Amino acid sequence: MTDEPMPNNPPPTVSVVVVDDHAIFRSGLRSDLDSRIRVVGEAATVEEAVAVVRARRPDVVLLDVHLPGGRGGGGAEVIAGCGDLGGSTRFLALSVSDSAEDVVAVIRAGARGYVTKTISGAGISDAVFRIASGDAVFSPRLAGFVLDAFGTAAVASTGTELDRLSARELEVMRLIARGYSYKEVAKELFISVKTVETHVSAVLRKLQLSSRHELTRWAAERRLL
Amino acid sequence: MAGAFLRPARRTGGRLRPGRKELLLGVALLLLAGVFIAQELGFAVSLRQVLPVAAAGVGAVLAWSQLDDARREGLRNKAGADRAAGLARLLLGLVLVMVGVLVMVSGAISWDLTWATLLATGAVLAGVALVLAPWALRFWKDFEDERAGRVREAARAEIAAHLHDSVLQTLALIQNRAGSEQDVVRLARAQERELRHWLYADPAGHSGNLTDRLRVLAGEVEDSYGHPVEVVAVGDAPLTAGQEALAQAAREAIVNAAKHAGGTVSVYLEAGPSGSEAFIRDRGPGFDPLAVPADRLGIRESITTRMQRHGGAATIRSGPDGTEVHLKMPEQENRSHDG
Repeated sequence: MTDEPMPNNPPPTVSVVVVDDHAIFRSGLRSDLDSRIRVVGEAATVEEAVAVVRARRPDVVLLDVHLPGGRGGGGAEVIAGCGDLGGSTRFLALSVSDSAEDVVAVIRAGARGYVTKTISGAGISDAVFRIASGDAVFSPRLAGFVLDAFGTAAVASTGTELDRLSARELEVMRLIARGYSYKEVAKELFISVKTVETHVSAVLRKLQLSSRHELTRWAAERRLL
Repeated sequence: MAGAFLRPARRTGGRLRPGRKELLLGVALLLLAGVFIAQELGFAVSLRQVLPVAAAGVGAVLAWSQLDDARREGLRNKAGADRAAGLARLLLGLVLVMVGVLVMVSGAISWDLTWATLLATGAVLAGVALVLAPWALRFWKDFEDERAGRVREAARAEIAAHLHDSVLQTLALIQNRAGSEQDVVRLARAQERELRHWLYADPAGHSGNLTDRLRVLAGEVEDSYGHPVEVVAVGDAPLTAGQEALAQAAREAIVNAAKHAGGTVSVYLEAGPSGSEAFIRDRGPGFDPLAVPADRLGIRESITTRMQRHGGAATIRSGPDGTEVHLKMPEQENRSHDG
């Protein structure tokens, strides 16, 4: 019930690679990031990104969803290309796009979070620390997509555990969609921030692995997958 | 004679323009008159001779009118039922012409010879078709390519027109107002919202529903107060009187948040068949809802009373971390059950 510090035991410094095809955005992001975050590489295309990430092995990759190069798969293709790094490198997707197609594609490829590019410098730094310590980062909009895809009612147990959200996960997603920070969610539900993080990670896992009928149908309606 | 009458009968059944219908009727009557005159003059015109000619004529007209139609309608409905109908018309025309010609010649030539000739003709036609096929295919492909090019060009022109009307205008305005940060942010936000709507609007989504309505209202507030309003919507509902009241109450709450709290306003809307809920949250210093003076109509009248009047409810929670307004509107039919 006590408020724990926002990122749980953040590593002293976090190394990141910034992947975006706009040099202006890369330099802007670089200057916005917290001083404990070291930018160890930049890339502008899918091929460059895969090469730089493999060479530098950063803790976190800030990854634009729309990237030129490769086979046209954008950020999702970079994640797939780095799939054999054994999970030591984590990906945070950045995008200006609102479309469910982009969000869900990159999350299902393995990104640990999704934020829009209008996020503040403090916001993105906080997200980087969270991702580095193994948590998932959900923006209100991503939480909205999850609720849209899995349904807002806690459904009876049809299908596997992966195919539905628990009542608690549903509550957490709703609060995040309402604009609550993890700390505020914890306070609201009388649980610890760590528990909130656990719930969010569980939802992320379901979003990545579920073959839920509704999710498939929802995706098909929006021509995803 | 019956054969001659067959023509106008067929014409009226076809899809022809009014002017041409009369013309064809006239031609048919003239031909009929010609037949009668020939009989009067002593030529033995028998039905056996008239029928095949009439059949061949009808067939030819059918086939040619198909070509005419194709040209007239252009590429509008190339695919679909019209195409099948056209094909049927062409085939019917061909069959009629062939039957007519066969019957005409069969009087003079024996059937054996006719069949042999038919076979030879078929072989020659097949050979010609074989030779011409690649050429025809290439012609068709060129035609399709050109069509696709035209479609692309039209799409490009539409995008260019839209960007000119929106993005370029906004960029010009931003350059003019570069001195005022608030103006620039406001213009950029408004343009971003407009462009997003244009790019990502759910094609299956029905405009005029609750979600759409709330987004429009939130956009208006964003424009007038210059504070970003983030709308996250899950599900949708038709815009009944109750849901319209919820949207208007939500607008008031967003205005309050933008006016008194500033910063980003988070709006979350959850709509479904059983009703809808909206949460409007800001991060301002908060206020005591009960301490609001009675003469301040904003919250009491525009939010709480408006919701109650339509069978809904409004809850306001305010604290040092900000204020959250919770609006709940059950679907009209279930009002008595849902409370």
